[in-house]
Amino acid sequence: MKIGTLSWEFPPRVVGGIARHCEGLAKAQIQQGHDVHLFTLDFPGSPSYEEMDGIKVYRASTELGHPNFLTWVLLFNHFLSKRMADLTQLVDFDVMHVHDWLAAFSGITFKHYIKKPMVLTVHSTEVGRAQGLHSPDSFSINGIEWWATYEADRVIVCSHSMKEEICNHFNLPEKKIDVIPNAIDSSKYQISVDRGAIRQRYGVGWGEKLILCVGRLVPQKGVEYFIRAIPQIAQRHPEAKYIIVGEGWSRDILEAEAKATGHADKIRFTGFASDREVINLMTSADALIVPSIYEPFGIVALEGMATGVPVVASKVGGLAEIIDHEKTGLFVYPRNIDSIAWGIDKILSDPDHARWLTKNAKEKLHKAYSWEAVAMKTVEVYRKVVE
Amino acid sequence: MGENHSFRTQPDEQPNQLRLLIMLHNIGATESTKALTIDQIAEWTRMETPELQGHLQKLIDLGYAQLLRSEEKDKFYLTINGIRKVLSLYS
Repeated sequence: MKIGTLSWEFPPRVVGGIARHCEGLAKAQIQQGHDVHLFTLDFPGSPSYEEMDGIKVYRASTELGHPNFLTWVLLFNHFLSKRMADLTQLVDFDVMHVHDWLAAFSGITFKHYIKKPMVLTVHSTEVGRAQGLHSPDSFSINGIEWWATYEADRVIVCSHSMKEEICNHFNLPEKKIDVIPNAIDSSKYQISVDRGAIRQRYGVGWGEKLILCVGRLVPQKGVEYFIRAIPQIAQRHPEAKYIIVGEGWSRDILEAEAKATGHADKIRFTGFASDREVINLMTSADALIVPSIYEPFGIVALEGMATGVPVVASKVGGLAEIIDHEKTGLFVYPRNIDSIAWGIDKILSDPDHARWLTKNAKEKLHKAYSWEAVAMKTVEVYRKVVE
Repeated sequence: MGENHSFRTQPDEQPNQLRLLIMLHNIGATESTKALTIDQIAEWTRMETPELQGHLQKLIDLGYAQLLRSEEKDKFYLTINGIRKVLSLYS
């Protein structure tokens, strides 16, 4: 099939999980013999066109700006559309696949222009990310999301909790939605890592414990609750150190929270880290905490499972579908510092049990979450709308 | 951050540095070739120059913005970390 994919983020423009999702899916589609043309936005140092593992990547440069984010989104969609318009003269696409509301305007335009079906993947919703609609921009984004689900021939979500969310919130018929989980390339995680050297580089000495948290520093990730749990964890495990990986608009607030715990000397914020460095850290950590309060899927939990680090996660959204409590990881209550402290203490206090959890987690991962399976299921969705 | 925090507040409620960071991104100051002078930034943001200088310096100190020195006039643009910080608001 000739697949046109639209996403506002694609490596190296990595913001959240969408870039990695699009990369994993497109690579697997290429391996299965499909022709993938991916339209995205420019990023410093990246060419306007390149082939990445067979994926034809077109990066649109936004030549006009505006201080208001929504206006800027409309402007960049115009430049995305221009890029696509040029290509549709040369390529007869079978389907357009749009990821999230940010690229929806271009996708909807092309659905009507080339008279080909449009599939939409909803990775998250505004009402979920913002935990409500608190501003005119949020209301507009919510409206665009609804509009995109209405215009789409089929809608893909990554978990049953997301399916329920968009059915209820957008009054979307269940039969229009397919649930296809995310995946990871597990071969990326089977690398040799010098744990001692990595831990030393981050100031974690012999006999000390390393607790890792990886994610965008935005409230939906619940990092503040993890930080507030640190004094309780430190009482039981004074030797523990805490590394928080990621960038985001609430970083300053979280750094202030960390200072307020009285344990700031044990807490390190690394900022954005490369995929390789995240793997290094996960492989070297004693526990990975995923304290999200809203999580449509939770790919970081899969990454943790692949590296063999015990995962402690909030029982929310997609996380609740990835982890089996006391079998492949531990669940804690979201927004609950006592529960988070309990989960981490349990992992650190019982290394044999933690090892058993990680062994089970790896087995489940290999059976259930591969990009090959995701690509096949996604192409099945395309066939439903093409035929 | 309280229990009922708003993830995306109105521009007027955002701390001025974050607001400036978002505006610099949205008006396109995302690479050295697209760097803007302080006068150009003041026109877009409607901030007074002394206030703007203070915020820009803070953004530079935090690693979110970069100063491009030139013989004519200094210019400013966002670093990759600055871009990622802005995009985290909307993803």
